[in-house]
Parts: sequence; C-alpha cells; structure tokens
Amino acid sequence: MATSVSVKMYKMGELGDCFLLSIKHEDTLKHMLIDCGSFRNGEESKERIRKIVADIQDKVKSNGLDIVVATHQHNDHISGFVHAEDMFEQIGIDQVWLSWLDNPRNKQASRIEENHLNLRNQLSEASQKLAELAKTKTGRLASNQTALKMHATHQLIDDVMGFFGAAPKLPAQGIKILKSIGEKPVKYLSPGELKQIPGIPLSAIRVHVLGPPKDEDLLYRKDPRKDESYDHKLHSLNMMAFHFLRALNNKTSSLDKEEEQFPFNASFKVQLSQSRQFSKAMSKVDSVYKSRHNAWRNIDNDWLDQAARLALYMDTFTNNSSLVLAIELVKSGKVLLFAGDAQIGNWLSWEDIKFKDKNTTTESLLSRTALYKVGHHGSHNSTLKDAFEKMTSDELVAMIPVDKSDPNISKTNGWKMPAQNLFQRLKEKTDNRVLRMDEGFAEGCNPKGDKEVKNAWSKVGEVKITPLFVEYIVE
Amino acid sequence: MNALTDNPYYRYLRGYALDPGFSTQLSTMTINEVNYKIRWEQVLPGPIGEYVEVIDIDPASDCYYEPIDLNAQNVLSQGGLTPSEGNPQFHQQMVYAVVMKTIHHFEHALGRKIIWRDRDFKDAGSIKLQYVEKLRVHPHALRDANAYYDPDKIALLFGYFTASDQSNGTNYPGGVVFTCLSPDIVAHETTHAILDSIHNRFIENTNPDVGAFHEGFSDIVALLQRFTFPELVQHQLAITEGRLDRFSVLGELATQFGQAIENERGALRGAIGKINPQTGKWEKLEPNPTDYKMTKEPHDRGSLLVATIFDAFQRIYQHKTQDLIRIATNGSGILPQGSINHDLVKRLASEACEIGEHLLHICIRALDYCPPFDITFGNYLRALISADLDIAPEDENGYRIALIEAFRARGIFPDRVNTMSVESLRWSRPNFTKSEDAAFQTIADFLEPGVNDLLKLTDRKEIHSASKKLQAKLHDFLGGENPEFNKDEWEESLMNKLGLTSEPIKLRFDGKTHTLQAPPLQVHQIRPTYRVGREGRQIQQVIISLSQTVKVPVRGKEKIIFRGGCMLILSLGNLRKVEYVILKNIRSQRRFDMQVAYQKSQEDFSMNLSTYQSEQMDPQDISFKQLHFHSH
Repeated sequence: MATSVSVKMYKMGELGDCFLLSIKHEDTLKHMLIDCGSFRNGEESKERIRKIVADIQDKVKSNGLDIVVATHQHNDHISGFVHAEDMFEQIGIDQVWLSWLDNPRNKQASRIEENHLNLRNQLSEASQKLAELAKTKTGRLASNQTALKMHATHQLIDDVMGFFGAAPKLPAQGIKILKSIGEKPVKYLSPGELKQIPGIPLSAIRVHVLGPPKDEDLLYRKDPRKDESYDHKLHSLNMMAFHFLRALNNKTSSLDKEEEQFPFNASFKVQLSQSRQFSKAMSKVDSVYKSRHNAWRNIDNDWLDQAARLALYMDTFTNNSSLVLAIELVKSGKVLLFAGDAQIGNWLSWEDIKFKDKNTTTESLLSRTALYKVGHHGSHNSTLKDAFEKMTSDELVAMIPVDKSDPNISKTNGWKMPAQNLFQRLKEKTDNRVLRMDEGFAEGCNPKGDKEVKNAWSKVGEVKITPLFVEYIVE
Repeated sequence: MNALTDNPYYRYLRGYALDPGFSTQLSTMTINEVNYKIRWEQVLPGPIGEYVEVIDIDPASDCYYEPIDLNAQNVLSQGGLTPSEGNPQFHQQMVYAVVMKTIHHFEHALGRKIIWRDRDFKDAGSIKLQYVEKLRVHPHALRDANAYYDPDKIALLFGYFTASDQSNGTNYPGGVVFTCLSPDIVAHETTHAILDSIHNRFIENTNPDVGAFHEGFSDIVALLQRFTFPELVQHQLAITEGRLDRFSVLGELATQFGQAIENERGALRGAIGKINPQTGKWEKLEPNPTDYKMTKEPHDRGSLLVATIFDAFQRIYQHKTQDLIRIATNGSGILPQGSINHDLVKRLASEACEIGEHLLHICIRALDYCPPFDITFGNYLRALISADLDIAPEDENGYRIALIEAFRARGIFPDRVNTMSVESLRWSRPNFTKSEDAAFQTIADFLEPGVNDLLKLTDRKEIHSASKKLQAKLHDFLGGENPEFNKDEWEESLMNKLGLTSEPIKLRFDGKTHTLQAPPLQVHQIRPTYRVGREGRQIQQVIISLSQTVKVPVRGKEKIIFRGGCMLILSLGNLRKVEYVILKNIRSQRRFDMQVAYQKSQEDFSMNLSTYQSEQMDPQDISFKQLHFHSH
C-alpha cells in the first residue's frame, strides 16, 4: 500500500517555521513536528502560537506527536516550545530529535556552545552598554553623533539578535524544555545517520541526516567559497568582542590594568580628554582632526561598526547549525527536504557525507526531492545554487515559510525575503508550484485562471489552504 | 645650485619588508628589516606630507598617539625609528613609508600626479565636489581584524586585534596584531584609494569582475612591490634554488594576518599555492581552463587575477633566466640538488626584481586603457596588451605572450575577440571615415591649448582645478551646437563612436521597451600623461573619460542605473591622432541585460547591506568594509 505524507505549513503571521508532517503507511499514522516558533515574543505572537498548537493537538488527537524536531536555536523556530510548553506536555511527545550540536556529552559541541554563549552574552552586554552610553543623564537619547551612532549600533545588534528572541535565553530555554519533554531520551543526530520513524518500517520511510556538518570550517561559513581553509573562529570573535566590550566599559569607568597596556604601553597614550597637556606637535595634529571643515572625515565612531558585524556573524553561525533532514519515501523514491535555515557551509558539507545506508548519495536524494522547504524564509544565501540545480524532479514543489507583513520585511529597505532571483528560480524549477505561508499560492502559482499553472499542479499532490495553514500532500 | 642648501632626493626610513612576525623567525630575521627609499618631501609631525596625513587617533581607547617627527634629529640621523611592534610612532613611520612608496610606483608608471578622489557631498539638494589634497591614514582606527579604504572619507582605516591563544606560525599567542605593520595590507589599501582616484566608478558593482578587480589589482600591487627589495628576493631565491614556483614568502600576502586567526596556517591569499588542509603540505596551484568560469566570490575571483599575473611573472622569469641556468650548469639546464651558487642567486634575483618592476608598471599603466566603468578581466587583458604595445613595441622578453598564456590558462577570454593574439587583443585602432576624422579633429583642436596649459602645472591643486575647467569646456563643446556639422553627422561621426548619444535611448526591460531621454554627458577627467617605457620610449598622451547615465524604471520606485561612454586616448605629440576609444556603448541592450541579470542575482538579505543600503536598484557601491571583513 501507498505511503504518503501530508505537510502542514502553519501560518505564523510573521517570520517563523512550524511544519506538521502526518505520515501514513498502510494503517499506521504518525506525526512529526519540525520546528515551532515565530520571530517575536509579544502577547500577540504568543496567542497566535498557542492557537496553532491547539490545532496541532486537534490534528494529532490522542496519538500525540511521535517525533519533534528542532532545527536550530533561533526564536523563530523554537519559541512555541516555551510559550506553549504546557500544551505540548498535554499533547505528549514520544521522542525529540536535535542536532549533535545540542548534545551535552559531545565535547566539540560543548566547546562550540560555550564560545557561542560567551559571544552572545558579550554582545548583549555590549548592546546594553551602547544603549546606556547613548543616553543623557536624564535618560533621554543624547543628540550628538557618537550617541546616535551608539544607539543605532545597539538597535542593529538587537535587530540581528532578534532571531534569538528579545530575551536571548529563550531559544536555549526551548531546547532545554525539549530535552526533557519526550517520553524517550533525545536523539542527537549527525550527518550520514539513517533514522526510522517509529512504527514505520525502513522499507517504507527513511530519514537521512544531512547537516549540520562536523567540519567546523563549514559550520562557520556563510558564503560559498571554495578552496579557502581560512576563516574566523568563534574564539577569535570572542576575543574581538571582549576588547570591544572593554572599550565600551572604559568609557564610563577608569581603565583596568590590562586595558591600560592595550594595545600599547600606557606611556604612549595621550588621553583625548587631556588636551591641555598636548605637546605642540600633538595639538597641531589635533587641530587638523578636529577642524570643523574636516568633520566629514572624522572616524570617532567607525570602530562601533564591528559590533553589528560580530552579531551578524553569530547569527549566520546559528543558521548554519541547522539540523537538515531528507525524508525518503522508499517506494515512490520521493524525498522531502527540510533544510532548516542552513546556510552555504552546511549545504556544501552534504557533498562529502558518508551515509550509513551505502546506497544513498546526496546527489540522488536531491534529484528525487519532491518537496523543498525553502531555507531561511527564502533569503538569498540559504539555498546553495549548485545543490538546488540538482533538484531535477518534475514533481518538485517548494514551500516558503515567509510572511510579507513581518515588519522586518515590510520596513523601508527591509529584508529581501524571498530574494527575487531565488523566487524566480524556484518558480522555474517547480513549474510554478511554489507555496507561501502568507499567500498560499505564491504570485503566479495560483491554478485559478491559469491553464498552464493548473496543469502543473494537476501532476502533483493536493493543496489545501485554510486560515491556519497551507497543506500539501506528497504521495 | 648650491649642493648644501638643496633638498635631499630621498628620505630613508626603516621598516618591515614582510609582516613583523618574520622578524622573530631566525630564517627571515635578517631580511625582514629594510630601508624604504622615499622621495624627499617636507613633512610635519604626523607624518603629514603633500599626499597623506597620518592621524593616529584610537577612538576605542580614547587616545591619540604622539605623532612622529621625521625631521627630529634622532629619527633623521638613523634612517627612521627602529622597527618595533610596541612603539606606535614606528607604526606611523611604517605606514607613511609604504603608502608613499606605493604612490611613487603609480606616479612613475602613469606619468602624472596622483590626485585623490573628490569628496562628493549633498549641499542644499545638489551634489557638490570638493578637492581633497591629502589621504587620511589612521593606523589604529579599529579593534578589528580588518583594514579598509573608506571612499566617503578618503581615508585608510587600519585595525588591530589579539592573535588567538593557540600558538601557531609566527604570532605570539594572545599578542596584538597590527594590520598597519603589514606592508601587504598597507599597499593593498593604498592601491584601493589610488584606483578609486583614477576610476571612481570601479566601485560600482555592475558585473562579477568589478569587485574582484579592485581586490585582485590591489593584491597584485602589494605582491609585485615585494620585488623591489633585492635582499628579500635573493634570500628567498636561495631557499627555493632559484625557482619562483616553489614555496616562498614571495608569493604569499599578509602572512601574519592570516596566521593570527585560530589554527589556520598559511597566508590569507597565496598566489602560487597553498597548504592543502587535508595533508598539511604546501601545494602549487595549477591553472585550469575552467577557473574563471567556476570562481564567483569576489575575493576568490580577485585571487585568480593575482595568480594569473604571478603566473605570467614566472613564465617571463623562466624565459629570461634559462640562459643563466644553462651557463651555470654547463649547458644541461638542470641544477644540481642543494644550494645554488651565490653569484647565480644574485643574478637571478636581479632579473626577478627587474621583471617585478616592469610587470608592476605594465599593470598600473593598463589602468589608463580600461573602460571607465563595468570593467571585466577580459577588458583588463586587452588593456595590458594595448598599454604595453605603446610603451614597448618590441617586447623582446615576451611579456605580452606570457600574459596572454597566463590568462588563457585560466580560461579568461575577452568578450568578442576572435583570437588570443597580440594583434586581436589590442584595442582596435579607430578606423575613421573622412567626416569622423574631421569631427575628432575638431575635438583635438579644441583641447590643444588647454592641455598645453595643464602640462605646465606642477601643483596638484592647480592641476585639479585646471582639469576641471577644461572638462567643463569640453562638456559644453560636445553638448553644444557645432556650426560645421549637422546634428546627424555629429551624432553618427562623433557621439556614437564614443559610445554616447545625443538622442533618446531605447532599452528593453521585462518585455517592455523604455524610451529614455538623451542623457546628460559627463566629462570625468582630462589628464595629460608623460611616460617612459621599458625600451626607453617616451610617450605623451591625453586620457579623457566620458560617460552618460540612464535610469531605467524597474518596478515601483526602483530604477536601474546604466552607463555608457568611453576612455578616449589621444596622442599628445601629434594631437590630431586618436589612439584608442575604449568604449562601453550606452545603447547596448546586450550589456544592459547582462547587468540586470547580475544585479538581480546580487539582491541581498538586507542586513548584509546595512552599509550600502539604497532605495534604488542602482549599481550598488562595493563596500570595502564588507569586502574586507574576513568572515566569509
């Protein structure tokens, strides 16, 4: 008998991922939830998530959830497990799958997590400090250039860190909850592993793990660059964040011993505030620098840009740590690819995976992909071109969890999600079968009124659009 | 003339030839400290000279560092301060020396003075341009593993950071790494600033080669400048037994900077080869005809250009030193194992240094033969060949053939050129009809007096303002009515030949044809040059760059900016001769389509764009800050 998977992409009302997979094989029905979170943590977001979880409860009924997968530690993938923890307890979760990076017993993972946490803390401290420094004594935003720049930097860090939630600890809390919520112990997955859906034989469904890579070089890589063995490591980033933070702290308190000697011996430093003691030569240089005509060349605040770059870098790293699963329906050969928010390094690593199942190759999985959950809400750097081009199945359908009303997207110069060129290519490769979380059928993909599009959809499984989700069934 | 009161010709300043880390390694300690020979100029404490002002402010640390006075007795008498990582004043001296040295190479090769990019700023709604005399240099501007040229401030900003805890390479673990002490990084950033002063539209990201070109070219200059230190070249050739294709520090850039990052051995950008991460062994980089096609990221593509030029270098070196090797081996051409004869090393090194300098100057000169925007590597190859043909028609040592071979080996082929021969690669000489000839003659006649005046000037500011005036005049002349020609003649015989038009333009976008008003003309530069070539040949030319810009509506408020125009090179000895018109046609639908396709593919997740946000889909400026944050 046939095996089928219904995939419900829940409408988060903002950026967010929540996918309920109902897997049918013969008489068995199993439920798998991949991520449950949205970008913000306000009351509105919480309420919406709880409504969605209630619907999940309604769908799985007393069977509960057989598997819950959390791809990576970002708010927009995890917040639901915190905001609706009680409801998930009620539903009942048999088993949780997380990536090897979440495994407390893996030494490499712990070291990475420690550095990561350290960097995250340093950055939120820096952000707070910047906000404070930007204020006057009465608590208002000061109007000088430095204050404005500090405030803007603070906002930028928070903007990027938003993926971790306004409270950066929230996603970590989500993972903590997930570690204890399942009936069975958590499974920590590594690339190449072959997993079974409990109760469904491997001869019917196989789940292959593709990411996150164990190679740290690839873990940290955002852009597709080959042949370069050089990259920043979290450690170096931490050192930079450390000196950055210390510079901020020194703006309000006196220099500590170490800072006194950094980067040069104190005797070489001519404090800016002590202009009365400037030598003649120093005064001359100072007058050039401070001249009103030269104000446009002033570099007083350029060093602050570093913080936003560090934050962005960390964000990339977290996306890259996504757990990537390829769910293979053995009989039909079809593959459902859930790539989390994997960025390029993660994708690149798939090429060299040694699969437990000797007959599996990444190439073959990609060529049979019938459903692609588009990474990172369709941003330009989360779908590796070369790999995507290998998705050559003529039944390919793409689902993009994106909501154009999200302020991050709708604001002036907002995030380009989905990226235009990626969207175009998705449409071409899928024969106009692209589903979006907000619109249902994406622009130009609605079968209504377009014969060709209708024809394209008739070749694949059913689509159902309700106020709560967009559903697609792979048979 | 009074020998006692005349200014000296040169100022000698001590500095590092390689990253400071090499001074703490026995094998390179002796050759890492060299004397930089800098053209003498009056300098104030800073140093602040005619071209640059070093302002050593460290805003993160809330302090200045006392400026060095290069004329102070203890400094002047000893050829500058002793190299030291712990003394900021030495940093100021070092950064000044490398920046000035780089400027001199450009001035020598281009045959004219370097004038920095104008500051452009909005004032009461209109865009104003302002002359900038000095490039600002801030040796300790950031606490970041980063250094960049900021085209808005016309400044170089260098960062410092702590090396990671693990001990590797030549770094002191936990020690501070200063990017301003790496001659490669300083030369690289200075080159960005100079390139921007010559071609200020090379930062417009209109095709995948543009950003790569800025990066690659800057590395080429940094790399070839190493060959100006004979002691260093001798030392390295002795180690590699006279071979340039073996591992040596000559082919690597910014070694210390690369090593400072946790457990990464080897330099940031290796031009000859690199350490294989699997085996940990150094491997030579073999060219592949698919290299150009397969390499997309700007730094990688830039490295490809560096590797190409270095490959040409090796080919010339091999060609030029075969005889020496044969003499040294009694005709066998095969050197015995082990160290080679010291005299041979010296001779080989002097050849290598000569080639290095020639190649550096060829690469720089070629800039004048590039189109004023939308540069591709293929364009650059053609520019290299054309520039070199002008300066050294004989080419006895096969520089051009070596360059062509090196480009071909990596699959870098110019667009629409039939063969990879010197003749077809040279930009085609204008073949004018009688009326075209007459039209161009009117330009030449018109320009002659102004150009002659320009030639008499030596002060950079005066040159700048005189050029601006002449530009304005030429602008009016080209845009105005000319009684001798009717409108059609003027359009066809002149404007179209320059890649320009005085009529409305039609461009298709998304199936819709847009008719756009004839765009206003811009005259960017008119600079006479006077150069001396390898074969002692002197040439005098005027370089004129002309352009037009249209904005094609894309959707909503978004517009795509498309430019056309040319680099017009007139021979100065005989003004009436148009040497080259290197053009990008404003009416080319093909080029427009290519630009649109490329820029669409660049659409970015906007957080990455925080430093170059723009309402329009214009040719987004390449951000050096972004390009240089080594986080990719």
